[in-house]
Amino acid sequence: MIAIETEGLTKDFPVGFWRPRPYRALDGVTLRVEANEVFGFLGPNGAGKTTTLKLLMRLVYPTAGRIAILGRPAGDPGVQRRIGFLPEAPYFYDYLTAEELLTYFAGLFGIRNPDRRTRVSALLDRVGIGGERRLPLRKFSKGMLQRVGLAQALINDPEVVFLDEPMSGLDPIGRRDVRDIILSLRDRGCTVFFSSHILSDAEALCSRVGMLVGGKMVATGSVSELVAFKVAGWDLVVAGVDPDRLGALGPGVRAVVSMIGGRSALDLAPECEPERVIAAVRDLGGRVVSLNPLRATLEDVFLAQVRASQAASPAGRMMPEG
Amino acid sequence: MSAEVVRLAGRPDRRQIVVNLVVSALLVAAALGLQVVREARFRLESPDATVMYLRSGEAANRLALSFRAVAADLYWIRAIQHYGRTKTSTDPARQYSALYPLLDLATSLDPRLTIAYRFGAMFLAEPFPAGAGRVDLAIALLKKGLAAEPARWQYAQDAGFVYYWWLQDYHQASQWFERAGSIAGAPWWLKAMAATTLAQGGDRQSSRVMWRQLYETADDQWVKSNSRLKLAQLDALDEIDRLAAQVARYQQATGRFPSDWDALRAARLIDAVPDDPSGTPYVLDPSQPGGVRIAVSSKLHPLPPQFLRKAGPPSK
Amino acid sequence: MPRVLGLIAYHVFKESVRDKVLYNLVLFALLMISASYLVGQLTAGQDIKIIKDLGLAAIAVFGLFISVFTGVGLVWKEVDRRSVYNVLVKPVGRQPFILGKFVGLALTLFVNLAAMTMAVYLVLVVMAWVDPGLAKTAVMEAPVVDPRLLSAVWLIYVQLLVVTALALFFSTFSSPMLSAALTFGLYVVGHFNADLAHFENVVESKTAAVVARALYYVLPNLAPFDVKTAVVHGETVAAGYVLLTTGYGLLYAAAVVALAMLVFSRRDFK
Repeated sequence: MIAIETEGLTKDFPVGFWRPRPYRALDGVTLRVEANEVFGFLGPNGAGKTTTLKLLMRLVYPTAGRIAILGRPAGDPGVQRRIGFLPEAPYFYDYLTAEELLTYFAGLFGIRNPDRRTRVSALLDRVGIGGERRLPLRKFSKGMLQRVGLAQALINDPEVVFLDEPMSGLDPIGRRDVRDIILSLRDRGCTVFFSSHILSDAEALCSRVGMLVGGKMVATGSVSELVAFKVAGWDLVVAGVDPDRLGALGPGVRAVVSMIGGRSALDLAPECEPERVIAAVRDLGGRVVSLNPLRATLEDVFLAQVRASQAASPAGRMMPEG
Repeated sequence: MSAEVVRLAGRPDRRQIVVNLVVSALLVAAALGLQVVREARFRLESPDATVMYLRSGEAANRLALSFRAVAADLYWIRAIQHYGRTKTSTDPARQYSALYPLLDLATSLDPRLTIAYRFGAMFLAEPFPAGAGRVDLAIALLKKGLAAEPARWQYAQDAGFVYYWWLQDYHQASQWFERAGSIAGAPWWLKAMAATTLAQGGDRQSSRVMWRQLYETADDQWVKSNSRLKLAQLDALDEIDRLAAQVARYQQATGRFPSDWDALRAARLIDAVPDDPSGTPYVLDPSQPGGVRIAVSSKLHPLPPQFLRKAGPPSK
Repeated sequence: MPRVLGLIAYHVFKESVRDKVLYNLVLFALLMISASYLVGQLTAGQDIKIIKDLGLAAIAVFGLFISVFTGVGLVWKEVDRRSVYNVLVKPVGRQPFILGKFVGLALTLFVNLAAMTMAVYLVLVVMAWVDPGLAKTAVMEAPVVDPRLLSAVWLIYVQLLVVTALALFFSTFSSPMLSAALTFGLYVVGHFNADLAHFENVVESKTAAVVARALYYVLPNLAPFDVKTAVVHGETVAAGYVLLTTGYGLLYAAAVVALAMLVFSRRDFK
């Protein structure tokens, strides 16, 4: 069952007052997200991620192309009941408290008391908002607003959740919490669609990702498909051996970096066998601290795509948001 | 994707625009309908008629801030509206009560609003039902105009007319015409008019000359049409005299008062049913001296009483 | 849908109650009305009339400010700060959203005007109680505590509903400054609307007269809502008049809200 589907989605914005010229924010974006997937929608700032989300949420109307969510067109009221949305850097009615906001939104879904009260309370607990829930939202920090945003996205127990930069503004604890929530959503059978420019989050969470650069989809697939499992070398950290003697261990040792505490980091070429170097280190009286393979990461793929796309269209685009 | 998805993924239907616009238009039409009903059933006059909030020119001046000229125009428009509305109204209790205050306000806000003074001169002085019948207010307004613009000889001329035509005070009239004639830039014949008035005031012919002068020198539509009306009234008076002569002949011949115009036509005393200069037929009325009068429905009604014959032979 | 409308409207009202600026505005109005009591002490004989005049004028003026500033800011603030995204993603259509906002504004306005009216009556009651002889003065055209004032206030309310609808309409697509300017402009023009109908009496050009008459029909006719003078002099405003004028106001406001709903439903939120 396909949770989210777009086909040839294009959006032009008119720019300029007297003779508006169209600025193509999105160009023929096609993507497909299966049910119960966690889909990472990646791209640099200005690529069009937020625009895509707004189109999915029907806050913006497409110039061309088609959208379907849970098999229904975007904006269908039946669909709106089953989805949740967290906008980027969310802002709420600052005259309301967190509790009042969630109660309001729950009311819009037709959720009545006593179910409403329990849901609001439980959600606030889940996103980590304690006693502050009775404070007006204007007193909330960015991180707390982000949490409230997540709560209001989940108030109706949605089947598909759309998150725009969910980790932004959060400290490491907050980010871990959000990660946990996303994973728990997946475990409960939800589909999660989130956009981010922080790739490490995507690597950890997503079953599939899509990359948007300059308004165009440049790559989609599972993380493992995009990142060829190819070892590019080894990172070996040893201790107790004089760094000068390490360089002499063989041609495979590409670099030696001294670290604090008498340790050294060796950069080994892929064809070099790490076991042989380890044995040599032991002979010298040292010991191994750690051994890590160096692989291409999503970031490398990402940067390569960005460079390629910039080479293709060198004329700069104006800076929209998202 | 299904066809339904295809159709609905774009901007909301064109149909939605039409629906909203039609609903909006219908609502406005309904609103206007109610307004029409209200205006028909309730003559709640706008504040200028029953209760004027601002009666003082001073207050108006202060409140209008930098929009005096616009405010003056507005009150001038309201004055005309008030005049028009009262004149065409069928309510027997109607009054021109707000005419002077409105003109006063307009001229306080803009002391050089010439047309307001001259309009006031005409229609404040004219007796009911065509005017307010307040000669004193007309003169007061004209004096105000002269205080603001002493070089405006037309105001003095208008004042002269008021005394001449409505009050038959030929002495005062002559003095005003003399004053008007003395103002630099005034036409030469004003002094002559002063002399004529004194000498032959009650004369129809000299009246005719004066109105003709006014008609030809005025560049304002109101003044011109008013003068034209007065001239037509004078013509009507002459025609009534001629018709009265024919009626008298008929009475001499038959010993009876003619029953209608056809009787006179049969007696070959007239060619056709006579119309007054405004196109309304004259009326045979035995109660009138001379037996002929103007129709009440005529635009020229009422004729200036000072020129209507009381009895006796037609004047020259 | 009515439930959703009610929720949105209720929250508009809640926002206004918790809005410091609005709060202070109403407070100031109440103070002014109370101060009129002092003014009344200064002049002999005409003081009741002056208090009624001042009271009604304060209600009209402050009511106008409340209408324009809440109406103009309401939608614009939400769009500018993007808090509107969250609500529109819920099962609330764009059109019901605007309609709900309008109902909320109407409710807010009603409560504010009611508060000010009560203040005026309170002052009048106090005056009557302090000086019972006042009511017997021959100069009096109207009783001190006169229920007729309510018809004037009601018509002010309906008139301000039209103004609010206009403010809301402009705020769906333009900035608050421009919206406020346009709304005030239409308020002023609306008072002179009746004069447009009589333009042909004063202008020479036929085209100008036709244009003026067309404008007379399309632009709101606000002058008939002003019965303050009559009421202060003790005249009773006919029920039929109040009904027909209310009808005009409500229908016109509805027409404008329908247009606002249309504009809002078609725009992109960039």
